[in-house]
Amino acid sequence: MSRLYVDTDKYGYQSDFPIVEAYNAAVKDLVRNAFAKSGLAWKDFVFGPEYEVITKEAMTAIEARLLDYGYRFEPSAMSSSRERPEAYKDSGLYVENFSFEHPQAPIAEPDADGRELRGAGDNVVAHKKNLIGTARYVRTIDKVLECLSGGVPDGTIMIVDDSGGTLTAPVLEKFAGVLCAGGTTRSHLAILTREYNIPCLMNVRLAGIKDGERIEVEFSARAKIAEDYESGRDVSARVWRLQPA
Amino acid sequence: MSDIKLTYAQLLETNNLIQQNADETYWLCAMRTVQESKIFPVSAYILFSYLNCFYRYPSLLRKIEASMSAEEIGDRARHSGIKIVAWTIPCFYLLGREMLINWGVIKPTDAVLDVAYVLDFWKRFQLSWHRNDGNITNRQADHRGQIFPEQKLQVFHADAFECREGDPLHTAAQAFMATIAQYGFLVSCESRLTIHNHGPYKIGDRREMLVRDFRELAEYDYPWLDGVGRDIPYNNLTVAMILEDCHVTLLDDWGSFDSEPEMRAEHMVAVGLYSADNLSEGHMPVGMSSKEELTRTFEELTVLIKDATGKLWEEMAGWTRDQQLDAGALVYFGVGKEFAHIAGVYDQDDWLTIDERAERFRPLLNDEYGNLFLGELVGYISCPSQRMDEYTMMMHTGLPRRALSYFPYSMLNDGDYTAAVDGMRPGVTNLPAKNDRYRTSQGVLIEAEYNRRSREFVPKACQEPYRFLCRDWIKYHYDSPQADELYGFEQANSRLLQGKGAGLTRADIEALRDKE
Repeated sequence: MSRLYVDTDKYGYQSDFPIVEAYNAAVKDLVRNAFAKSGLAWKDFVFGPEYEVITKEAMTAIEARLLDYGYRFEPSAMSSSRERPEAYKDSGLYVENFSFEHPQAPIAEPDADGRELRGAGDNVVAHKKNLIGTARYVRTIDKVLECLSGGVPDGTIMIVDDSGGTLTAPVLEKFAGVLCAGGTTRSHLAILTREYNIPCLMNVRLAGIKDGERIEVEFSARAKIAEDYESGRDVSARVWRLQPA
Repeated sequence: MSDIKLTYAQLLETNNLIQQNADETYWLCAMRTVQESKIFPVSAYILFSYLNCFYRYPSLLRKIEASMSAEEIGDRARHSGIKIVAWTIPCFYLLGREMLINWGVIKPTDAVLDVAYVLDFWKRFQLSWHRNDGNITNRQADHRGQIFPEQKLQVFHADAFECREGDPLHTAAQAFMATIAQYGFLVSCESRLTIHNHGPYKIGDRREMLVRDFRELAEYDYPWLDGVGRDIPYNNLTVAMILEDCHVTLLDDWGSFDSEPEMRAEHMVAVGLYSADNLSEGHMPVGMSSKEELTRTFEELTVLIKDATGKLWEEMAGWTRDQQLDAGALVYFGVGKEFAHIAGVYDQDDWLTIDERAERFRPLLNDEYGNLFLGELVGYISCPSQRMDEYTMMMHTGLPRRALSYFPYSMLNDGDYTAAVDGMRPGVTNLPAKNDRYRTSQGVLIEAEYNRRSREFVPKACQEPYRFLCRDWIKYHYDSPQADELYGFEQANSRLLQGKGAGLTRADIEALRDKE
């Protein structure tokens, strides 16, 4: 069996993640076998005859083998699991009565003011005061469409999964505040909330907050800056659940 | 044996340029985390774009350079702005190479003349773009990008209108910038490639100016802006934003910045609006006759952009995954297409299709593999090709890693390498065909006409002898008629500086400003 150039590697072992290792190893197998079969010198194989054997069909076969073992991919984009439910895990985006249940979320009994600690996150900009509002999850295109057609009541605080700026593009400015379960204070959503002057926590860890519940968010907390990330300093702003009004 | 001879010096420089980009790759990526979107398979399209860049950039840059040199393109870009190309061009390309090395599809000794050429093109462009601060990247300038010459900065400084938080201009400008940033992320499929910043430029003891470029807003190269962007009257807009009591501490090669204190609305105290492209005589003022006109202009543009945002979001939300993958990959890959426009050799088949050599890997690019492979490549730096001997201490982390592979010098002994990928190959796209309409400062043109005008048009400041009248020449010749002519090109459309010549200092400019 011929060997690829990268088969001999004093320092490189395996990729950190099993699926990356599995895929990359499968492509290398394909190249190794095709190169051996070609009988060519490498310089006559690469950027030429290889195109006949390292093909889209061969890549499709690599994926098919993994799926045949029962593996299902973790989805990111809604289109992925929508178009290929047989290849992706359930996104969980349509669960009824959903709440984030992050294990790292700080939790405490209600304080003297009836505020029950239910989460924390990284404050994008320190505002003058905290914000009290109504929680509303916006996790899907359908929810954005609901916001467009049904409106967003004043004082609504949006809770979103990812740190991008595209999902919520047509409705972001309608919200009084944002809690985002991903990203950092330099992510796209953070940049946009800063531009819109909408209070926002990134990398928020929440437990048990449901749609429609009243919450208070410590937007008056210190903003988390690049140095805090580099030093690992925790400057979290808190999220409390309030008693029903 | 290859019949192409490499020199030791060539390889040394190529590896140095690779390493400069490797160090910055980790720093930039670690500062941001991977961006995610429920609409776009972001990591997957990023990987897809890297492959397209690897296979196509060498041919496309050579095609561009047959019409105009990289350093002349740098002059034009410095004159009228450009998208983020500092990190993107070399790193997208080199990360494609890194992916293919980890798949065993190429060896670290393959395509060496291609890589040397792409990096050399990038180096010459960057040196020209950064001519005024003498660096190759913002990173080399300790994360600062002082691109513009005095004559342009004086116009931006002089003509900027004062504003304060809560007044009509401030409110309109803030709303505009939020809206256009939102639109920009959408236009660029969740990337920040529509938005570019440079500076800071010192305006006074307590004031600095940021130049904020928003590029490719109207009907232009992207088929998804056909119709959607038809009512947007400018393809590029530049906001000159003056900050007070807010020091921009870094501005990186992605055009993003940090400040001390954290920039808030109240820090913006003056603002101006311009538009420029490769067919304009630099930056043309937009709504800059009066404070009231500028307020109204911001408000009108905000309405137009919000409308376009809604339409574009609806269109993109209905795309298939393959369309999302193509669009995102082509946005990333397409950072180099502005070079082609400047050189007048733009062809949408070059820039709006996925090369069949990249296309064959599409089935690998599911969301999970995309996220994790990209994470290893640019975040963890943990791919086998990136692991080094244990004495190595990588910049920023101290780990035995290196983000981008060098060319081994052993190639000089055994000649065992390949020179180049095999030119251009056909491409595919799942996106609708592009209308032949390009919004420019000379009106809406068809592609052929736009290319023709691009080849013929040379802004006055880029013509001989003005092209080489740099800031070091000005320092000793500011009182010459030729210096006045050079400054006059920028001052021609200025509200306050028309005919003022080259002799004014920053204090003179501040003294004649309208402070109302």
